Amino acid sequence: MASWMKMIALFSLVLLFFCSSNAQSCVGPTVEATSFTSTDANLAMETTFLVEFTLTCKNAAKDLVLHADIGDRQFPVSRSADGIHYQVSWTEEHKEAPAGSYDIRFFDDEGFSALRKAQRSDQDVSAVSSLFTITVHHRGVSQGPWVSSPTVAAISAFAVWLFAYRAKRQIQD
Amino acid sequence: MAAGKKLTKEEELLLQDFSRNVTTKSSALFYGNAFIVSAIPIWLYWRIHQMDLFQSAVVFGVMTLVCTWLIAFAYKNVKFVLKHKVALQREDAVSREVMKKLSDADSKKMSRKEKDERILWKKNEVADYEATTFSIFYNNALFLFLVIVASFFILRSLNPTVNYVLSVGLAGGLLALFSTGSQ
Amino acid sequence: MLLTRSLPGQAFPHEMRILTAVAIFGLVCLAGSADDNVARLLAAKHVQNQYLVEGRDLTVTYSIYNVGTSAALSVQLTDEGFPESDFKVKHGMPTVNWARIAPGTNVTHSIVLTPLKSGKFNFTAAELSYVPSEGTQPQIGYTSGPGEGGIMPERDYDRKFSPHILDWAAFAVMTLPSIGIPLMLWYSSNRKYRISSKAKKH
Repeated sequence: MASWMKMIALFSLVLLFFCSSNAQSCVGPTVEATSFTSTDANLAMETTFLVEFTLTCKNAAKDLVLHADIGDRQFPVSRSADGIHYQVSWTEEHKEAPAGSYDIRFFDDEGFSALRKAQRSDQDVSAVSSLFTITVHHRGVSQGPWVSSPTVAAISAFAVWLFAYRAKRQIQD
Repeated sequence: MAAGKKLTKEEELLLQDFSRNVTTKSSALFYGNAFIVSAIPIWLYWRIHQMDLFQSAVVFGVMTLVCTWLIAFAYKNVKFVLKHKVALQREDAVSREVMKKLSDADSKKMSRKEKDERILWKKNEVADYEATTFSIFYNNALFLFLVIVASFFILRSLNPTVNYVLSVGLAGGLLALFSTGSQ
Repeated sequence: MLLTRSLPGQAFPHEMRILTAVAIFGLVCLAGSADDNVARLLAAKHVQNQYLVEGRDLTVTYSIYNVGTSAALSVQLTDEGFPESDFKVKHGMPTVNWARIAPGTNVTHSIVLTPLKSGKFNFTAAELSYVPSEGTQPQIGYTSGPGEGGIMPERDYDRKFSPHILDWAAFAVMTLPSIGIPLMLWYSSNRKYRISSKAKKH
């Protein structure tokens, strides 16, 4: 009985060791980010936010499992095969995406579960500290000019002709 | 409403005679202006409809000439119609001016007939000038308006070359048509 | 088979306990097979553009939904439907992976491309591979394919949508002499003679 229990204990220890070595945490994160947001309403039916970044950690942790929080939504962060490049992207209706700065907070597994817990118990979510934050500046989506130039030109040309026409009537009467 | 008195038959004939002969100077003025106005839409087609200048040079050239003829035709007709009316309106003003310009000595020497002739000639000159300039102004305004509407609204979806030929051709044609219609 | 007598203090005899265990195990197995406890991913690939224009942004969005009951593991999205000769990747990575997609959640991923040629293009489905539950083989699925789209040449798009304000302004300046000069000449003569006749009336 005792040896059986010993085996279980040993096995769990080994398992724990393997598990913990995969669930690494990032110490001292350095982030380099580039972002893209849609600017032309003609070309895009919804506004797309796209942030690509490279994350280097002082403890050389790679291929991390990260979660992004944009305030009202959370999603897992997409990773590339090299383990250093990551990407977050989401879409929003044009109306719901005004111009301005959008903050994206990044959490690892631990931080994320703390965030979810805070959300469920209606606590202040900003109290949960994130690993790092990236700010995206969105210039806003342009719908094109309000009145098209041919319309303006046609109206002006019409106004000029109308003036001429009335003068002509005046002469002819 | 016409402010002047009715012209006598003699005066009317004289006036009509004058206007039938379009002087070379007047002709040159008409064709020159018509050419300039016909050429202006090419800018729109080159820059906005993205037509290549060199490839479409023949089309541009041909249509510009056709339009020049049509617009000059419209100028002449509108001028002819207006000159008569303008002359009627200028009767009093012109006679007063002519009389003012004559010194007292000349005034006594000249016969009534000569004075009337001078007044008639001056009236004709003024009417000619005003009718010419107004005809050019009116037809240019109408032509440009028609071209813009045809090119950017009615025929918008057509191939640019077809758009050019039809817009400019129709505008010129309509101009000529309207000029013959007005009384 | 002799049933052993239950010992005092025990509710069930020994055999009964084994039978109950077997019964419960059987039930669990049945329940398990009905629910499967696996992840199932549905993925859609969607082109965000209303107009596809050569040389302008083309946004592609992938949406992956986990409609299963357990988390999908080692999810990998690979899109090889945009050859280098026809498209340039401007932003985003066409090949990405996620460690885990929780059940009942979705993930979106976008990339921005620049078409290098105009003409018809068939937007094909992207490949998605994931491990449906712990210890199973990876499963391969495909996103939806948006189908064929026409990429318009930049010239046509410009013609239709660019405001060309400067060109129109230049046009206005060009028409000024043709309209302004005759108008001014006529008007000055008109004024001169109208004033005269008005003065006379007084």
